[in-house]
Amino acid sequence: MRAAAIVMAALVAATSGASAQAFPGQEGTFVIRGATVWTGTGQTLENANIVIRDGRIEAVGPNATAQGATEIDARGKFVYPGLIDAYTPLGLAEIGGIATMNLRSELGEFNPHMRAVVAVNVDSDMMAITRANGVTSVITAPSGGVISGQAALLNTAGWTWEDMAVRPTAAYIINYPREAGFGFGFGGGGGNPAAQRAARERFREQVQELETVLRTAKAYDQQRTAGSEEIDLMYEALRPLMQGRAPALVSADTEDQIRAAVELGREYGIRVIINGGDEAWKVRDLLAQNDVPVVLGSIQSNPPQDAPYDAIFAQPGVLYEAGVKFAFSTGGAANARHVPFHAALAVGFGLPKEAALRALTIWPAEMFGAADQIGTIEPGKLANLFVTSGDPLDIRSQVSEVFIKGRRVPMDDRHTRLYEKYNARPGGS
Amino acid sequence: MRTVRSSCALLTALLIAAPAAAQDVAIRNATVLTIANGTLENATVLIRDGKIAAVGTDVTVPQGVQVIDGTGKYVMPGIIDAHSHMAIEGGINEGSESVTPEVILPVRDDDLTIYRALAGGVTSALLLHGSANTIGGQGAVIKMRWGKPADSLYFEGAHRIVKFALGENVTRASSNAPDSLRRFPKSRMGVEQTLRWWFSQAQEYDREWAEYRERARRDRNAIPPRRDLRLEALADIMRGDIKVHAHSYRGDEILMLMRVAEDFGFRIHTFQHVLEGYKVADELAKHGAMASTFADNWGYKVEAQDAIPHNMALMSSRGVVVSVNSDSGERVRRLYQEAAIGMKYGGMSETEALKMITLNPAKQLGVDHLVGTIEVGKQADIAIFSAHPFAPEAHVEMTLVDGKVYFDRSQAMTLRKLIEQRNITTTTEDDR
Repeated sequence: MRAAAIVMAALVAATSGASAQAFPGQEGTFVIRGATVWTGTGQTLENANIVIRDGRIEAVGPNATAQGATEIDARGKFVYPGLIDAYTPLGLAEIGGIATMNLRSELGEFNPHMRAVVAVNVDSDMMAITRANGVTSVITAPSGGVISGQAALLNTAGWTWEDMAVRPTAAYIINYPREAGFGFGFGGGGGNPAAQRAARERFREQVQELETVLRTAKAYDQQRTAGSEEIDLMYEALRPLMQGRAPALVSADTEDQIRAAVELGREYGIRVIINGGDEAWKVRDLLAQNDVPVVLGSIQSNPPQDAPYDAIFAQPGVLYEAGVKFAFSTGGAANARHVPFHAALAVGFGLPKEAALRALTIWPAEMFGAADQIGTIEPGKLANLFVTSGDPLDIRSQVSEVFIKGRRVPMDDRHTRLYEKYNARPGGS
Repeated sequence: MRTVRSSCALLTALLIAAPAAAQDVAIRNATVLTIANGTLENATVLIRDGKIAAVGTDVTVPQGVQVIDGTGKYVMPGIIDAHSHMAIEGGINEGSESVTPEVILPVRDDDLTIYRALAGGVTSALLLHGSANTIGGQGAVIKMRWGKPADSLYFEGAHRIVKFALGENVTRASSNAPDSLRRFPKSRMGVEQTLRWWFSQAQEYDREWAEYRERARRDRNAIPPRRDLRLEALADIMRGDIKVHAHSYRGDEILMLMRVAEDFGFRIHTFQHVLEGYKVADELAKHGAMASTFADNWGYKVEAQDAIPHNMALMSSRGVVVSVNSDSGERVRRLYQEAAIGMKYGGMSETEALKMITLNPAKQLGVDHLVGTIEVGKQADIAIFSAHPFAPEAHVEMTLVDGKVYFDRSQAMTLRKLIEQRNITTTTEDDR
């Protein structure tokens, strides 16, 4: 087996030799030939070619070709639109446990003017590892407080954060206040009456503060539209939200929080996406009726003790049945590349594969206003796609090529470099 | 509403806590991943008295045996988790001192994680102390006999196991904060010397007892040395009566511990986590140590920065027996997915990958003669999947321990419907 691994490594080296250019990858014109292409538009094309030019998809089809292009033989392989992790600190976070490598949160409760995009580390080891599994875009989000700031929709390769950004302001991160410590049963029900009263009071205050900020933002936006030149950086930053040009990604897990978040959207005329949504299945009809989508929290988490054992695994299937749109997220940076395997767990518990793939591609692109740029394999869109040996939901599949913004991204990363070093150590059995 | 909901949860627990009575069972017409003898199509597994009585394509099912239809299903040995903190009473760290091998973990039977592990096809686990101490204490190997009292959970015939720990967690137990506990050791260097000091003490203790026994043969009035449970446990470790499972990350500390053990004449049975095991794989193989690791968990602290998912394949290809563990009440429910990662990174074969959650952890727990494969004579700890366990559409249909059904998804689904109906019908206006 070791011999096989060495041969494989040699093959990888040989094929990537053509694209010896370092990160963020070889530019040019490419033809990917003979693949089975899942376009994301409801079609799966057999034996199709994809032409990539100037960063975009130029043509897709059995006869698509280009003169002088770099040819990539993908016969027997599969091509999918780049996958999207719809909530992660990728680019803002590096080694956990080292505070200075995880500067995601600003002081204070209301920070809509904080922009994640400007703090993204282009050369993050985690970024390289993420894209190697076909995850070509992420929602990178700040955290903390009630309004954490602006999340960015980023490609996972580029020279600068400007180069990487698909939507610099993809969503406003709002954390709907949570009434802590009152769940019945495990982990709740504690606290003396005075402490409970104080916590309830704090919860009410936070909700009121949030509503005050939104009300003020609305008035501010109207005044500015009417010609006022008095600028407040915080409220200025909220104008795209108030005008419906960017959504709010509202953290809400419990049924009560989700209902309140939907109501918030209605009352202030803002577009709400639920973030987390552990109990979204309980209010699926409400979400469907109001066309409120969900960025699912990590599927790799335990439901509450009094919920069915598979509540989190089964939820995407239940939401799909009810007509609620959703995206998958890992919530982490180190393993953002596992986002298709989160979706796989949902497929194991009832979600159709086709829906799982959409929830990894075009649905998040739609939610964050980038469906004209990414999410499917169609002419005119950014060439964000990958070549794989099989079903991307299947852990055993091997990704062999990744294109981001038309660049053929090198497939080496911190992990493969360490692997190759120690695999080549003499000795062994 | 809350009262009703919680009584439903209780109802769930009670109903599920009542496994079928001991009965002979046959799983018929299934794909059987035996681990020991390849994959059998359209095969039958016959279970009698809690043990596997026959496996094959030409097994006759005797009358009166309950038949489980395995058509389209995959049958594999029950999954074994070689690193867990479920079902433990109280805390997992005896944080007072850094060397506490005399401490023994108390097992509890009411942790819902046992049930959720069953729902992920898990039938056994090694429960370990935390990693705050250089030597944390003695763990327990249990079977997921959900609903049985704590005393009945212990896996008879398993090793006695002690947890060691190296690196950041041990040294972090002291901090520089004014009110916090300051405790030796505070560096990897100190961890080595802590081990050497204590094992030297244990050698001395052992010698005193040996001398006493020698004296006592001639002198009936010989006075025995003062008994010391800590040194006694350390002496048992040196004799190999208690097997060492060592929490470890970096290559340097893994190598250090093997050399310390060799100097005192014992062996590290299994390294836990062992995220840089691939850097010292040849040394691990030569020492005879096994490895129980995460499939792909890295970057959460400095010593996990060089963790790579190829670790499993690299160690395995150099002759180390590797398992994939959960160390988590969440991951334990999907270890079958974790094992598949071995195929993705470094090119493990399917059987090698499956062994990482069956036969290999069984070896690490000392129960490979009892479980870990589907072979005649072994205990009938079995997981039945809806598809190949590595396929994205897979979920567990049924889990058997000792030939008894402890998890049945169809039953769980029925209960779910009941609970959902209750929740909807009881969510009335007075709740809002």
